[in-house]
Amino acid sequence: MKTYKFFGSRSSGAKNWYMQRISGIILVLVLIGHYVLMHATPDSGHTYKAVMERLHSPFWKGIDLTFVTLGLWHGLNGTWNVFRDYTMKPWLINLIYILLILLGLTFWFIGINTILSF
Amino acid sequence: MANLTTSSFFSRWVEVLINYRKHTGSWAWILHRITGLGLTIYIMMHIIALTGLLKGEGAFNAEMAMFKSPFFLFGEWLLGALVMFHALNGIRIALIDFGNGARFHKEILVFVYLIGVLMTAGMAYLIFLH
Repeated sequence: MKTYKFFGSRSSGAKNWYMQRISGIILVLVLIGHYVLMHATPDSGHTYKAVMERLHSPFWKGIDLTFVTLGLWHGLNGTWNVFRDYTMKPWLINLIYILLILLGLTFWFIGINTILSF
Repeated sequence: MANLTTSSFFSRWVEVLINYRKHTGSWAWILHRITGLGLTIYIMMHIIALTGLLKGEGAFNAEMAMFKSPFFLFGEWLLGALVMFHALNGIRIALIDFGNGARFHKEILVFVYLIGVLMTAGMAYLIFLH
């Protein structure tokens, strides 16, 4: 197995660049629906009953899972993009990379646990 | 190069931010980063807040009532402003990378600021006065 000095040097980042844009475009579209549902009509967004009704439908479960997955990935990949712009000692940038992945996995599991509990 | 790796990350980040020449696009880049980092922190807070659903109807509705206090309403508006800029500038970036936006990126940025300010003002009306 080839060893790498930086985790970030495993790839050119082209795939991440592309996926950052694709996920961003999807997030803008979901965001419009999110605004109408949650903020323009507060009752449909914020009462327990309305939320439960949605969470029991596979369609909304799918939307929520997509939203939390893409949102977290887009956010943490963007954070990684920021760190990648700076020269750092290998141990530090590797540590940051691992922490970002752990942070993403932790919050992703918390998020999908909430969605899939109902 | 050796010198670059010795100073701390954040002091250099601030240094770069201050010393870079700021053209039209640089401001969009700086704002996109800052709003993006803010929104990443927010989405994590949001995920934690929604675990309130697991505590049952009473606890969740009480939590939602708390979010209607002036402090949280102001936060909601601030969040809306961050989202507005990040989403509109994100569309600008997609147009630059996938379309012919590079020719008009400064003009598109004017629209980003204009629509952003208008919608943020609209949100202030909906949140505080409606």
